[in-house]
Amino acid sequence: MSAHEPQAAFKTRAAAALHDPILKIAVERTAGTAEAKRAVAVEAFPDFEAARTRAAAIKDHVVANLGHYLEQFEANAVAAGAVVHWARTSQEACDIVIGLCRQAGAKSVARSKSMLGEEIGLPHALAEAGIARVETDLAEHIIQLSGERPSHIIWPAMHKTREQVSELFRRSHRDPHAEETIAAMAESARRHLREGMLSADVGISGANFLVADSGAVCTVTNEGNAELSLVPPRLQIVTAGIEKIVPSMGHAVHLLRLLARSATGAALTQYTTFYTGPKRESDRDGPEEMHIVLVDNGRTAMREEGLAEMLRCIRCGACMNHCVVFRQIGGHAYGGTYPGPMGAVLTPAIDGLAKTRDLPNACTLNGKCQEVCPVNIPLPTLLRGWREKSWREGLEPKATRAGIDLWAWFAQRPKLYRAATATALKSLRAMGRGGWLRKVPMAGGWTRYRDLPKPAAESFMAQYRKGRRR
Amino acid sequence: MSAREAILSRLTGKTPAEVIRAEAAALLLAPERPAVDPAQVEAVFAERLAVPSVAASYERVADWTALPETVRRYFAEQGIPPVLCLPPDPRLRALDWSGFTLHDSAAPDELAVLAVARLGVAETGSLVFETSPEAPMLPNFLALHHLVVVPEVVAQLEEAALPGAQPRAHYWVTGVSGTTDIEGTYVRGAHGPRFLHVIRLAG
Amino acid sequence: MADQPRIALFVTCLVDLIRPRIGFAALATLEAAGCDVVVPEAQTCCGQPALNSGDRKTAEKMARRNIALLEGYDAVVVPSGSCAATMRVHYPEILEHDAKWLPRARALAAKTYEILAYLDEVRGWRPDDVALPATATYHDSCSGLRELGIKRQPRRLLGAVEGLSLKPLAGEETCCGFGGTFCVKYPAISNAIVGEKAAAIDAAQADLLLSGDLGCLMNMAGKLHREGSAVRAFHTVEVLAGMGDGPAIGEDA
Repeated sequence: MSAHEPQAAFKTRAAAALHDPILKIAVERTAGTAEAKRAVAVEAFPDFEAARTRAAAIKDHVVANLGHYLEQFEANAVAAGAVVHWARTSQEACDIVIGLCRQAGAKSVARSKSMLGEEIGLPHALAEAGIARVETDLAEHIIQLSGERPSHIIWPAMHKTREQVSELFRRSHRDPHAEETIAAMAESARRHLREGMLSADVGISGANFLVADSGAVCTVTNEGNAELSLVPPRLQIVTAGIEKIVPSMGHAVHLLRLLARSATGAALTQYTTFYTGPKRESDRDGPEEMHIVLVDNGRTAMREEGLAEMLRCIRCGACMNHCVVFRQIGGHAYGGTYPGPMGAVLTPAIDGLAKTRDLPNACTLNGKCQEVCPVNIPLPTLLRGWREKSWREGLEPKATRAGIDLWAWFAQRPKLYRAATATALKSLRAMGRGGWLRKVPMAGGWTRYRDLPKPAAESFMAQYRKGRRR
Repeated sequence: MSAREAILSRLTGKTPAEVIRAEAAALLLAPERPAVDPAQVEAVFAERLAVPSVAASYERVADWTALPETVRRYFAEQGIPPVLCLPPDPRLRALDWSGFTLHDSAAPDELAVLAVARLGVAETGSLVFETSPEAPMLPNFLALHHLVVVPEVVAQLEEAALPGAQPRAHYWVTGVSGTTDIEGTYVRGAHGPRFLHVIRLAG
Repeated sequence: MADQPRIALFVTCLVDLIRPRIGFAALATLEAAGCDVVVPEAQTCCGQPALNSGDRKTAEKMARRNIALLEGYDAVVVPSGSCAATMRVHYPEILEHDAKWLPRARALAAKTYEILAYLDEVRGWRPDDVALPATATYHDSCSGLRELGIKRQPRRLLGAVEGLSLKPLAGEETCCGFGGTFCVKYPAISNAIVGEKAAAIDAAQADLLLSGDLGCLMNMAGKLHREGSAVRAFHTVEVLAGMGDGPAIGEDA
C-alpha cells in the first residue's frame, strides 16, 4: 500500500482546500480549459454516444474474458522476447521492480508517469531501495520537487500555480529560467531532465493498453517523455493493471479516439507508441531487456464484487474535470491515488471502505461524471453501492442512521407522519419572522451558509383534505 | 500457488476461444470515427496537420531527389547550421547531401533530424513509424526540429496497423512534444521536438 | 390511455411541507391538461433519503409501499425530477432481486412522469392565457436532466407564457450543490458549489430563477437570499399555472 494520509481527515482536508484561494484558481485554470476543449471535440465527433457505447462494450468483453486475454497477451509478449511477471498486490509488484533494478545494478531510473505506479507506491519503494528516480513527465517532476503526490490523473501538478512552479525550479534546477514565463519554465525543465533521462539505467512506465494479439504495450504521452525514458536505458520495465488489455490494435484505436478527446480535447495524444519486446538484434536503439509486470492489486476482487464496470476506466480524467466537488476541493483532499468520481469508487476498493467512507458520500449524485465518461461507467450507481455497503457494515455516523430510521418509521405511517410533520412545521415557523429562517437548530449545515424558506403553515395534504384545490 | 496461477484461477472462464474471437471481431464493425472522404485524403491530411494540437508545417515535393534542397531551404529559413541527423535509411543515404555534415545517432542537444514515416494518416494528421536497423527511434524524440518524409497517406487510423510480426516499436507522431502541465497552458517542445515539418512526396 | 386519464399526483415530501402552492399549481395544470387528478391520501415520501444514504432495506420498503399505493392509476405525476427518477429509474433497480415486485416496479416506472415532461410530451398541453411580464433564467436540475431527459420540455411550456422571456444561465446544467443529504453532510463543499451557482444566477440579470425541483430551488434561493440578491425563485409549474405573480420561495409570511 502506498503511503497515504489518514482517511479520517477527509473533511479537514476538504476544509483546508476550500480555504486555499490559490488552489481554486489553479484547478479552475486547468480543469476549465479541459472541459471547454472536450466539449468542442465531442461535438465534432460523429455520434460520440454510440462510440462510447461501443467502448464500454469492448471493455466489458475484455473484463468478462480477462483470463483468456491475459494468457494470450503473455504468450505473445514472451514470443516477442519480453519477460512477463505477475503480482497479486502492490507489495509484490514493487518487490519485482526493485528486484529487477538491483539485478541490473541500477543506480537510477527514468520514470514515465503512470497512475498504476502511484497506486502501488513505486516512487516510495524506489526511494527505500536507494535508487535515484528521474520523473520525466513535467508535472511529476514538479511534484517530485515539491515532495507532494499527484492531485489529478492527467495533470498531477494542476494544484500548482506558475509562481509556485517558478520557485521550485529556481531552487532545484542548475540553470533555471531567466524569464517568468511558462515557456521559459518548461525550457528549464527540458534542460534539467534531459541528462537524467539519457543516462538512466532503467526506464519504467505504465501502460495505457496491453494488446493481446501482439503482446504489445501501448503508452500515450503529449511530451514524448515515455519514449525518452524507455528507449535509451538497457532495461525497460512496464507495470500495468490487468484490466489494461485490449483484444487487438483495432480495439485500441477505438479507445484511443475517445481517450484524448475526453482528456484534452485533442483527436489523439502527440505520441502513441506500441512496444513489442526488447530491441531486435540489429536495431540501433531500444532496451536489451523488456519486463512487463501484470498487477492485480484488488482488480479480480472488484470484478467479483460488483465493481466490474469500474474496470472499464481508461484514466482520461474527464469525470474529475466535470465534477462540482473536485472543482472545489481539488485532488489532494480525496487522500488516495485517484481523485474525483473515479477515485471515490476506486479508493475504497484499494484502501478499504472503513478509512474512506467519506469519498462515496461526498458527492451530489448529479450524474455529470457518467455523462462525460467515454466508457459510460455508472459512477453514481457504483458510489451508491459503496454507500449501501457502508450502511450495512455500520460505518455511517450514528446521527445519520438515527435520522434516517426516524424518518423511515414515520414515512411508513401516514397518519402519524401528518401529525408529526404538522408539529414540526409549527415549531419551525416559530423560529423567525418573515419568509426566511436564518438559524435553525439541528440544521446548522444548511443555515450556516444559506437561509431556509419558512415552511408552510399547513401542509399540502392538510389543505387538500380541507377542500382547497387552487 | 504462484501469483500467476492465483490471478488466472479467478479470471479463467468457460467461453470457447472462437466465441471470444467472434465477439471481439463484431465489436469492430462499422466504428464511429471522423469520416475521411476517399477523394479528399490528401487535403484532409494537410488540414489536420495544421490544427493547433498538431501544428506541423507542410510542403509537397516531387520525389526523393528533391529532399536535400528542401531541407537546405528549411534550415536556412530556421537559421539552422547544416548539421543533420540522418538515419541509415538507404533511400535517404542515396541522395546528394553535399554541403551537410551528416551523422546517424542523435546528440543530446540535436538540432534537427530527417526521418521517413511509413504512412501519414489523414484522420488525425499522424505520422506512422516503425523501428528497424535503418530506423532508430531516439533521434525523433530528441531533436528540436523533426523533419518527416511521408511517401504515402491513408485515410483512417485503422490502416496504420502493420500486419504480421511486429517490430520493437510502432509509433504514431501527431504533433510536437507538448505540455499543458503548468496551469493548463500549452507549451511546445516540452522534452523533444518543438517543430514538426512534414514533407509529402507527391510522386 | 383514456381520453381523461385518471392520474395520481404525488406531491413529494418537500412540496407537501415547504411549499404547498407547487402542489396546487400541479393540480391546476394537470386538470387544465384534461386529467382526472387524484391525490392519494397515504403518500409521504418516495424514499430517496434512504436510497441515497445507502439504507437499501428502507428504500426497498418505501418502494413497495409506493408501488402498492400508486399502481392503480393510469399515470403517476410528480412535480420533481429527482423524486420521479427515484420511482422511474431506481425502483426497478433496487427491486431487481425481487421476482414478485420487479414486474410491478417496472409497470409503475413505465407510467411515472415528472410533471413538465408529462404536460409537454404526453398531454401536448400549453398554458393558455397565462401572462407574466418578467425575465427568468432556468436551472436544469440534475436528476431530471440526466435521468429523465428533461431539457426542452420546460422551455417549450414556458415559451407559451405571454410576456415571459428567458435569459441564458452560464452553467445551466451544472449541479447547484444540493444533492439531498449531501448539503447537510458536507455543508462547506455544498456552500462553495451553490455560491458559484448563485453568482452565475445573479450574472444572468433576470427577475426570476425557475427550475423543476424544490430541493435545488431551496438551496439556490436560500443562498441568493443570504447574499442579498433580488432574484426571486419559483417552481416552473407555478408559473405555468398562472401563479408566478404571487409570493416567490421565501416570500410566504
